Amino acid sequence: MKQIKLHYLFIAIAFTAALASCHKDRAVIPHDTPTAQNAGIYVLNQGGFDDNNSTLSYYNYSTKVLTADIFSSANAGAKLGDVGNDVGIYGSKMYIVVNNSNKIDVVNAQTSVLIKSVTLNQCRSVVFYNGKAFITSYNGVVAVLDTLTLNINTTIKVGADPEQMAIVGSKLYVANSGGESTTGPDSTVSVIDLATMTQTKLIKVIANPTSVTADTLGHVYVISFGNFSNIAGGMTVINDVTDQVLSQPAISIGYNIPLYQQHGYVYYPTSNNDIAVYNAQTQSAASANFISDGTTLVAPYAISGDPNTGEIFVTDAEDYSSNGILYAFDKTGKKEYQLTVGINPGRIALLNK
Amino acid sequence: MVPFLGFVLIPASLFAQKDTTGKRLDTVTVRSSRPPQIQAVTPSQTIGSNDFARLNAINVADAITDFSGVIIKDYGGIGGLKTVSVRGLGANHTAVLYDGVEISNAENGQIDLSKFNLNNVQSITLYNGQPASICMPARSFASASVLSIVTSKPNLTEEKPYQVSAGMNIGSFGLINPYLQWQQKLGGNWSYIVNSYTENANGDYKYSINDGNSTTEETRLGSVVSMQEADGALYWTKSDSNKFNLHLNFYNSSQGLPGAVILYTPPPNGQHEWERDVFAQTGYEKLWKSSLHLLINTKLSQDYLRYFDPHYNNGSTLLNEYFTQHEVYQSAALSYHLLTNWEVSYATDFSLNNIDANINNFHYPTRITLLNVLATNLTFGKLLIQGNLLNTNVNETVRSGTALPGSNIYSPTLMASIKPFADQGLQLRAFYKNIFRYPTFSELYYGVVTNTNLKPERANQYDLGVTYKKSFNGIIEYVALTADGYYNTVNNKIVFQPGFDGAINYGRVDIEGLDAGLKTQADLGSGYKIPLTINYSYQSALILTDPSAPDYLNQLPYIPKSTLAFNIGVNKEHIGLYYNQVLSSTRYFDNNNDASDYLPPYSISEASVVYKNTIKKFPVMASFGVDNLFNENYVMVQSYPMPGRSYKLSFQITI
Repeated sequence: MKQIKLHYLFIAIAFTAALASCHKDRAVIPHDTPTAQNAGIYVLNQGGFDDNNSTLSYYNYSTKVLTADIFSSANAGAKLGDVGNDVGIYGSKMYIVVNNSNKIDVVNAQTSVLIKSVTLNQCRSVVFYNGKAFITSYNGVVAVLDTLTLNINTTIKVGADPEQMAIVGSKLYVANSGGESTTGPDSTVSVIDLATMTQTKLIKVIANPTSVTADTLGHVYVISFGNFSNIAGGMTVINDVTDQVLSQPAISIGYNIPLYQQHGYVYYPTSNNDIAVYNAQTQSAASANFISDGTTLVAPYAISGDPNTGEIFVTDAEDYSSNGILYAFDKTGKKEYQLTVGINPGRIALLNK
Repeated sequence: MVPFLGFVLIPASLFAQKDTTGKRLDTVTVRSSRPPQIQAVTPSQTIGSNDFARLNAINVADAITDFSGVIIKDYGGIGGLKTVSVRGLGANHTAVLYDGVEISNAENGQIDLSKFNLNNVQSITLYNGQPASICMPARSFASASVLSIVTSKPNLTEEKPYQVSAGMNIGSFGLINPYLQWQQKLGGNWSYIVNSYTENANGDYKYSINDGNSTTEETRLGSVVSMQEADGALYWTKSDSNKFNLHLNFYNSSQGLPGAVILYTPPPNGQHEWERDVFAQTGYEKLWKSSLHLLINTKLSQDYLRYFDPHYNNGSTLLNEYFTQHEVYQSAALSYHLLTNWEVSYATDFSLNNIDANINNFHYPTRITLLNVLATNLTFGKLLIQGNLLNTNVNETVRSGTALPGSNIYSPTLMASIKPFADQGLQLRAFYKNIFRYPTFSELYYGVVTNTNLKPERANQYDLGVTYKKSFNGIIEYVALTADGYYNTVNNKIVFQPGFDGAINYGRVDIEGLDAGLKTQADLGSGYKIPLTINYSYQSALILTDPSAPDYLNQLPYIPKSTLAFNIGVNKEHIGLYYNQVLSSTRYFDNNNDASDYLPPYSISEASVVYKNTIKKFPVMASFGVDNLFNENYVMVQSYPMPGRSYKLSFQITI
């Protein structure tokens, strides 16, 4: 008698478990096998803030092997740290700026094997000039790292929370974002004379300047976030001879503002997540969307290119919490291939043969 | 008659009281070995004050870790934030009630359960969907699940018009937690209870950190905790059907916030948080002979928070932020039996929430929320059908910037239960609930962007369950089994988008799950009893946002597919020995669901010994407990290591 009643119970449990049954089919993600003249391409993935999951993806064009985290595999499993914010190759070395771990990892560019970790508080971006690496730090300085001794011997005082930089001739342009300030953003670009390593000028731009690039036609381009209230974000073009503001062209900018210049064209994402192009020669909009084959992006996060082939690389951070995608487009904006990289792919570096 | 639900089991010498979320407060004496009341129209799990010691619990978060379907997100340590998420829905979908009135947090919706010390708690009940009564404040209808904290009530007689309980918890992390409860009967129908405690701890603990290559031992510093709470409750009880209460509550805390453990860099230091919360809450309840039932609740609260960081991000900026929230809340509910088997009710809630801050460009939002609910229940023999329709009307203003446009939303709930067989121990139940959570002030106005297109996060819940209970005369005294399969869908998930620096509606999640529980007790004779509780949860919480995205059908971060908790003990007369185990399967901290965001499974054990006796007729209780018995190194939240083995010694006397 008791057994019969328990029998009802098991039927009922089976019935409720049936609720957890139907499953949908997963989409198949295509995997491309690109070829190129270069040895390989690095993508630095920020990971999530405070998640200690920054990674360095590498695609080797000759072996056609994609390594999800070559830093870890080249260094006995050691993790890169928290928020890899910038990467640059200079000579035989690669410099990985790991923002929230407060360090720059200098590695062998070919193998990613660690040579030295250099401590720098809240380091952000790196550029190179004459045997030196210039690295911005939220301490309000640009640290000057000697690329032979790998020591920081000099720091140059700039504005608050400096972000990206560009070098034209012997001048270094630094975006002082003030983006971490509790009293509102900064709105200046510091000009540093690289002969004397001192700030020679402050250029007033749109509030919260962050991205910087330069062309070979006499212009420095700065994209600012604005103050997200009464000052809209936008682009400022600076004459690199007079260091005066040339114009502030009305452009549509998105929520991420990578900025890249190649062969007289400046590439940046719009609020529609298209990749707009600005003509450096005519100083006017060249194209509302560089991508010509209908490829759509969710969250364009980094833009770079190969000056030899004219290719443009764009990463997509997608939902910011799963692996992003690296897209390679030919110079006409047609997709050549795509590769799955890491979470929040923020920087790209091409490795020459 | 409507079945009363949510009983609490306490020993025969005491009384069992119903949950006070607006129901009649008849007291019923129960035998301790009767099976727990599990046969509610919605799934509910209760833990009473008698069980806190055997769970080694001193706060609400500790007490509910074994509940099925519950994920406690614990940032580690004695002062670490602990929030609850139920059945794969975010923490903001669970309402926390304090004697029937919601503790709201319009700022971020997060209620830190480690703030609620158990010294004045009589019982804690988690309801999936909502409590079973239809005469309750409209807010109790307005969440995906309800965690109801019920405080101790006066338990006095004319012969002994007062009762004093004093106790102390001391232990690892430098914990010192003395508490005092004073119950006093006054003239007429008046009585009061005053509860107070202080809790101090240095919070330090050892942990190990692995950088992928090597592991180092570190000490988590900067977690000092100092809190004080005083709660005074005045009761006027003319009868069980005509009564009034007034609560005055003051909470003050000062604690370090050690932040995430970041690889290769020393931990941040000096981050600190101060809170000072006060509230006054009143409740009046009257039940007329005609079955007309009235419930009125009022609450006024002010929550102050100061956050300080001496090295904010760039190492030199000093961050010193103040937030003050206010709430004015008024609720009225009325129910009536049109027929003996047909009850209808109407509840209406008004609330005003605002927040002040010293932040640059702050918007100073004020929100007015009106909730109206029509509810009914019908009993046809063995079948109970209950339903309600909730209307939510929200209007917001800001002193600067743009406010979210007002909204008016209807959300229905339908529930049913039946005992189909001659054996009244078997019950089937089902519910459907459509509900949403409104964006919080921080989601709307703290990011640099105010997204005025932000919509509420919508959830649909479907539940189908079975309960079975049976008392026996043999070695097994009783068996109580529950199993509920559920299916939840979440649309317009509110997520903070880093690039946008504001919140957006992004994504859809489907959750399929099973909650199953067993409670039983064996009587081995000679006074030896073996209580056993087992809870199992399965949660498949899948991302369905974009079928072409790589994370399509991946499991949501921080939700394990399976968790199993069991508590077994042996007690005889004055002494009980208990062992508790919580097992969690693997979790992921991002949407990748691969090695890059993998968090390994964990299995955490606790053991405690509890001694209860009377010394010169004064009840005393002493207990000793060990948390994380096997010193397992684990995390619940990436970069926030959990403490290893820790100890706690407790003592309490009642005079």
